[in-house]
Amino acid sequence: MSTLIEELKVKLISILNLTDVQPEDFDEHAQLVGGELGIDSIDVLEMVVMVEKDYGITINNQEVGQKVFSSLANLAEYINDNSPHVSS
Amino acid sequence: MTSLPVYISGVGLLCSLGSNPTEVEHALRQNRSGIRPLTLFDLLQSKPLPVGQVDAVAQVESLEETPPLPRTHRLAKIAADQALEGKTAPPEAIVLGTTTGGILTTEQLLRNDERRSAEYRYHGLHSVSSYIAEEVHCSGPALTVSTACSSGVVALAMGLAMLRSGRFQNVLVGGVDSLSRLTYFGFHSLQLVDRDGCKPLDVNRQGMAVAEGAGMLLLTTDRAAASHGELLGVGLSCDAYHAAAPHPEGQGAFMAMRNALHDARLTPEDVGYINLHGTGTPDNDLAECKAVNRLFPVKHPPLSSIKGATGHSLAAAGAIEAVISSIAITNNLLPANTGLRQLDPVLGVEPLRKPQKAAVEVVLANSFGFGGNNGSVLLGKPRRNVGEPTRQVRSGLQVHGYSYLSGAGDTAATMESLHSSFSVAGRAASDAIAKNLPLRLIRRLKRLPRMTLALAAGAREHAGIDSLKLNSVYMGTGWGALSETHDFLTRLNDSAEQFPSPTDFIGSVHNAPAGQVATMLAATGANITTSGGDYSFEQALLTAEMMVDGCDEQDSAALLLGADEGHDRFSSIFDPSITGQTQLADGGAAFCINRETEGSRCSLAIPFYRKSTTPNVIHMLYDALACFNDEKNDGENKVVAVMAGMPGAMRPQAKQQLEQFLQISGLKVPVIDYRKITGEFASASAVAVALAISFLESGRLPGTVAGGDEFVMGPGKNTLLVLGLGQYITAMELCRP
Repeated sequence: MSTLIEELKVKLISILNLTDVQPEDFDEHAQLVGGELGIDSIDVLEMVVMVEKDYGITINNQEVGQKVFSSLANLAEYINDNSPHVSS
Repeated sequence: MTSLPVYISGVGLLCSLGSNPTEVEHALRQNRSGIRPLTLFDLLQSKPLPVGQVDAVAQVESLEETPPLPRTHRLAKIAADQALEGKTAPPEAIVLGTTTGGILTTEQLLRNDERRSAEYRYHGLHSVSSYIAEEVHCSGPALTVSTACSSGVVALAMGLAMLRSGRFQNVLVGGVDSLSRLTYFGFHSLQLVDRDGCKPLDVNRQGMAVAEGAGMLLLTTDRAAASHGELLGVGLSCDAYHAAAPHPEGQGAFMAMRNALHDARLTPEDVGYINLHGTGTPDNDLAECKAVNRLFPVKHPPLSSIKGATGHSLAAAGAIEAVISSIAITNNLLPANTGLRQLDPVLGVEPLRKPQKAAVEVVLANSFGFGGNNGSVLLGKPRRNVGEPTRQVRSGLQVHGYSYLSGAGDTAATMESLHSSFSVAGRAASDAIAKNLPLRLIRRLKRLPRMTLALAAGAREHAGIDSLKLNSVYMGTGWGALSETHDFLTRLNDSAEQFPSPTDFIGSVHNAPAGQVATMLAATGANITTSGGDYSFEQALLTAEMMVDGCDEQDSAALLLGADEGHDRFSSIFDPSITGQTQLADGGAAFCINRETEGSRCSLAIPFYRKSTTPNVIHMLYDALACFNDEKNDGENKVVAVMAGMPGAMRPQAKQQLEQFLQISGLKVPVIDYRKITGEFASASAVAVALAISFLESGRLPGTVAGGDEFVMGPGKNTLLVLGLGQYITAMELCRP
């Protein structure tokens, strides 16, 4: 899990272009969408694409999406539980 | 003050419901939907989604047309021919809204790795209006507006303002878009497409059906020709909230409807039917219904969205629905909310379940789009004239602050560079452009929106932040956000159509930069982006000149912008003035403008805009310039210099036009070939205007520019002309108080 969390920190910084954030400063338990990083609905869609592309999981349900993207830790857990590519 | 009444003397329409107004009316009376699975182009893997596709759009037969005309151009031609049927005189001007231009053709050319720029001749948005102008023999301005899904209504607003000004008697306005991979996969990537067809206002609505089509209206001030009703008023607004999502309370939608009623001098009680934007996306329908309920707190008039029947034809939608509103008025038809099964009770509205045959006096039609762009239009039966109408002649704007960007950098860096070198052409480093902008604001933005925000911030600062409230934004860009368009199409192809970028799609619309500016400045007024190739900035200025209100509060102002980005791959294949040998250059300028002469740095007007093939065009240009035709009639004593815009692709013709102008005017002043300074890019004229103002303010031309020693302006010399030459002849007149 911790490897996946570190991997996701680097990925999110890259795809969301959070150039002022370092992986070590990224709090995986902090509110992700609507939190301090300014992440909004467009970023959620980019993350949906990333999760599908890199982990083979499709998220096309708003309720699921809201839960999954509430924090980076929740995202990691969801990927861990659902991905054919990740072994925990 | 009563404004000149404007009537509709012809209409044209084609969409998924039919190929002319009669067919579409028939389908609406039957409550039929035209939404079917896509067949227009092949998909690499996914099952085709439901779309609103137009059947059988024949290739226009022409012996000389190479390359073939894109679908958007053909759709526009069919609708324009319908609107002009039986008319003997060509329209004096054209205003078309489009977001796709030739992109469907371009997508295929790029896949074939086509590198010959001639093949991309019809890529640009402006090529749609230019083509229609050519076909219908219009020699006046052919303007292209691109404000995403509100484009059609914004075109109506611009046409209305042009006619009310008294400068034009008939204008062809409309909107057109063809289906394309960009829009098909783009909206899909935003999860805004309903796989089950489109059902606006339904409790289970999941989005739109992307569609195509064209709507055209011939507007006139001639009451005798008012066979399709009267265009009573238009209201525009900007949410200034988010790049793609509507304001959750429908604030912008409410303001657009309220502004339209105010413009038409009507009250909500006068409205007999509302044609909703009603795309079928959860957010749009909710926000729009909140706005409707706020405007009609007791009981709303009959209303419906027809997008469950037509799909959402983007820039065409506003014009198509204006034509349908005109049919509603003349033929007593209230269309149904096609596709609705179970009404969403949260919305608090009761739409028409079935088409109704009923007389209606006034129709309100909404169109909203990306960038928070909102437009509402009111059409009605021709009114009895009340009072003597006044022509709203509004020439001349006052510039209170400005900033510009060139290859050398920002305003200060460019000016410093010009004192030692003639050319500032090139591309400023991306970091330098955005150095004063907050990282969080620009993290998702690529080159053009960054340039635009930097220019807007610079102009506001130059004007004095506290003294002016910037309400509206007028921006010209020849090619729009090339980086976002390129990156979207590249990722779409590289991922075999699986993983297109939602961020790049939202950023790819031409009005995305101006939308970002509105959000940064909280500018909730009109937000208009024009795209006229080498005359894009001139089109934005012409629009601002017609639309910036002289009666605004004293402290309010508009932002006028022109900017283009130079793109490694796209600039040289799209822009015919840029060849493989041309140094890639870009830049732009922004101006804080209003009608207030106090504290103005310079006045700015565009008294002339005509196709260069018009007979006697240079004589007409001379006659239109105020400096040669005011009481003193001493232009040659006032004009300091002429800045001539000669796009590379039209240089030989432009040089001849310039020589002829100098001969007729008798001017013996420095002539500045400004594209040699700025480099070749579509909106270079914006930079030329900013440079011209700084020259006028300083009272001198640097030696590098004047072609010798520093040129000191003598007493009484206060005017500078910025000419656009080539395909069109335009003149901007700058005058220092």
